[in-house]
Amino acid sequence: MTLQLSEKHFSSMQAESSVRRIVTFKVGDRTFGIDVGMVREIKGWQATTPLPHAAPHVRGVLNLRGVILAVYDLRTSIGLGQTEATATHVIVVVDIEDKVAGLLVDSVSDIVDVPVSAVRPAPDLERDEHGLIEGLVLLDTDIVALLDLAAVIRDGGAEAPMAKARAN
Amino acid sequence: MDALAELKQTFFQECDELLGALEQKLQALDEGSTDSEDVNAAFRAIHSIKGGAGAFGCTELVAFSHVFEASLDHLRSGRVALEDAPFSLFLRCSDAVADLVNAARNDEPATERPDLLHALEQVGAAPQAAAPVVAAAPAAPAPAAAAPSNDAPPGIAALGNLLAMVEAKTGVSPPSSAASKPAADSGWDDEPAFATPAKSSDKPGRDICLRIMPENDLFRRVIEPRVALASLPAEDIVSVACDFSHVPSLESLDVTDCWMRFTVMLRTELSVEDIYSRFDFTLAAEEFEIEVLGSAPANDDAPALIAVPSAPAPEVSGSVAADLSAILAKLGPAPTAAPQPDIQPEPPRQIAVAAEAPAAPRPAPRPPANEAAAARQRQAVSVRVDLDRIDKLMNLVGEIVITQSMLVECVRSLPYDVHAKTAEGILTLSRQTRELQDHVMAVRAQPVKAVFQRMPRLVRELAQTLGKEVRLVLEGENTEVDKTIIEELADPLTHMIRNSMDHGVETPEDRIAAGKSPEGTIKLVAEHRAGRIVISVTDDGRGIGRDRLLAKARSRGLVGQDEKLAPEEIDQLIFAAGLSTAEVISDVSGRGVGMDVVRRNVESLGGRISVDSEPGRGCKFTLALPLTLAVLEGMVIRCGDERYVIPIASVIETQHLASTPIEHLTFGQEVLRWRGEVTPMYRLGAVMGSSGTPNENIIIIAETERGDNVGIAVDEIVGQQQVVVKSLEGNYGTVNGASAATILGDGLVALILDVDSMLRLAASGGRLPVPALKMAG
Repeated sequence: MTLQLSEKHFSSMQAESSVRRIVTFKVGDRTFGIDVGMVREIKGWQATTPLPHAAPHVRGVLNLRGVILAVYDLRTSIGLGQTEATATHVIVVVDIEDKVAGLLVDSVSDIVDVPVSAVRPAPDLERDEHGLIEGLVLLDTDIVALLDLAAVIRDGGAEAPMAKARAN
Repeated sequence: MDALAELKQTFFQECDELLGALEQKLQALDEGSTDSEDVNAAFRAIHSIKGGAGAFGCTELVAFSHVFEASLDHLRSGRVALEDAPFSLFLRCSDAVADLVNAARNDEPATERPDLLHALEQVGAAPQAAAPVVAAAPAAPAPAAAAPSNDAPPGIAALGNLLAMVEAKTGVSPPSSAASKPAADSGWDDEPAFATPAKSSDKPGRDICLRIMPENDLFRRVIEPRVALASLPAEDIVSVACDFSHVPSLESLDVTDCWMRFTVMLRTELSVEDIYSRFDFTLAAEEFEIEVLGSAPANDDAPALIAVPSAPAPEVSGSVAADLSAILAKLGPAPTAAPQPDIQPEPPRQIAVAAEAPAAPRPAPRPPANEAAAARQRQAVSVRVDLDRIDKLMNLVGEIVITQSMLVECVRSLPYDVHAKTAEGILTLSRQTRELQDHVMAVRAQPVKAVFQRMPRLVRELAQTLGKEVRLVLEGENTEVDKTIIEELADPLTHMIRNSMDHGVETPEDRIAAGKSPEGTIKLVAEHRAGRIVISVTDDGRGIGRDRLLAKARSRGLVGQDEKLAPEEIDQLIFAAGLSTAEVISDVSGRGVGMDVVRRNVESLGGRISVDSEPGRGCKFTLALPLTLAVLEGMVIRCGDERYVIPIASVIETQHLASTPIEHLTFGQEVLRWRGEVTPMYRLGAVMGSSGTPNENIIIIAETERGDNVGIAVDEIVGQQQVVVKSLEGNYGTVNGASAATILGDGLVALILDVDSMLRLAASGGRLPVPALKMAG
């Protein structure tokens, strides 16, 4: 499935090299997108094992067919608090550099082809201090924020919070 | 890879082992060993390297090892006394051989070492002017006392190898083809030969004539007649004669061809089959003949025997059948050949089995080359297996373990009557899985020797470069570790030793000034502790220069100007990137990359490194690594909503919290009394920040790497099971408090606790340890 996608992606890239194929997904009412080539698979929510004293957006680790990967809560990354994960939530499994990671989102919406010329640079948002947004795409009604995945994963990783109040 | 390249690969692998042995023996001799077996072993090692190198056309290696061998030979023959022998030269030569082997392996041009060659040639030259290695023929008859050493090949002196042939043609050697000439000490190879044994009359056994007519490619098959003959008990050999008459003229002689024929007279109690089987491994059937002398054998049995293999394998091709009948013709006489009545007649059945072996398994005719290859393969008692294959096997075992725990989980929900039976089956399955896993692990386990062996050379070379005197002491070389870890150990250990040599151990003058012996000592120790392998490098040098280190760290901004650090914290700065206190940047270390790289290497292996330093007294680096990277026996525990796995190897005992007296120290630390000692106690849920409300009932007494005990309070012990170690670093990063993760039967991930790392986490109150955090940046 993934392979087919990427091949299709590849050929379309060849045909019109000025088009980016993007997977879009939602967190709350906001729409985000990443290049389809980075997506390994999309799976339903699965319970994770929390990691001690990890950054708040690190939901924990899960077992994906024998491989252990960390799941990051995109809602936390964009400052909207933690996702109350249910069976309808979705984990987008992505390849970032040499790692595999999961991105917890509310739902996956679509796969769209976007002309490269339609991607606008991210406005200098004061809010986006971590540089999570790589660019913006205007669709019919939505604004799709293209994510810099490496930044999403890095975000907060260095700031290990204090231990929870010690029991007893 | 073609067959030759593969063989060559094997040769180089063997070279590594041989070089290790060579170095070890030379080292022992250098340290004052007077064991002649050490000399012999060193000689054999270089000799085997030379032999193989000849077969593969590594001319530089042959040339060098020949000279090296010759000078070691002076030692062996006693022409040079052990106490006069220049072992440091020999050690340098063994390093040079290692370089030549590496050059040959990588197809690089070899560096010539005329200096070493010259020095080697001087060895033994003085007392006996350039003693020609070939002694005049009858001049040196073998001593009469039989002194076969345990594993030294009996000196089949007149036999030999290429050199003997060359010598034969140059006319220095003894007259050829003297049948039944006493085993004279004639070759280049003049180790005290096996003695001519007792006179035929007083030795029991039969007289047997063994004729060896090897194919020309004998050496190319990496077989040496000497080695083949060594399979016979030395005291059974009456005489050995070598027939050089087939050797072509020197001009047309290809030195990789073997033209020698041997006639060996034996007086032995061994059966013909036994002798046959001893040579069957190295030589093809048509390459040797066993003839029983004395009373003429009754041949009655022979036809009957021939019938045995032909009956079950009628499709055997002509050539194989011919081989067989030849073998059988030779074997046939055996049962009745014994002149002495007390020799048990061999049951024909055994012969039949021996003869059948080559025929039965293969219906198709095989070219003779394959025959020879098969013979060579049978020679090996061990197989070299690609590590990848073992890894795949190991991964598979890991998957089985997970599947099995999943099954266990499923079975719990079955109705009782079904459950009992299934549970029994699963129990058996789990026992077998464990056994399977143990065996696979054992295949991967290797003594750390493989990497420790490389260190003496390093120390030697560094000592020379740095003008320091250092003695390296190795301990626990036989500690077994997973092969993958061994390979990763070489770099960190090299760095650690370099560091100790460069920064730790002082120059002899400084040492004397400090009231120490001029020779420094570096101890490299491996041992198992708390389910990990702990390797330490200890030197008795000046210790870490804390003031300089701290000043340097401050100037680099790693430590704030006003920040106060405890002495131990300063020591840890040695692992920070870009810090080196060496005043002179040397080739050895001092670029400030060493210990930082070591730390990263070790951590990527799931291990950790620490340092203890005492100014003026020395420094100890301790490296703790997981024993295996694959599967471990774990105790599954629960705390709050989370489950964790603690390696059984770390657990000393468990007890109820309620029955344990707990005291609170003023700074919030809880301690418990355990076996009369005050032991610190930590609550797992608090340390690991587990979700849910912990309700501790159980205390696990665990052992740390230092050997201290600590109590860990948890809610519940869920069970004990094998768990597959899954890296967290691969897709995430280091997790404080845990060494890795595993997948439990329900498919969920559980962290595998690392007691030492947990304690550090606890001590830091949930933050990373202070210096480490700074260094990570």
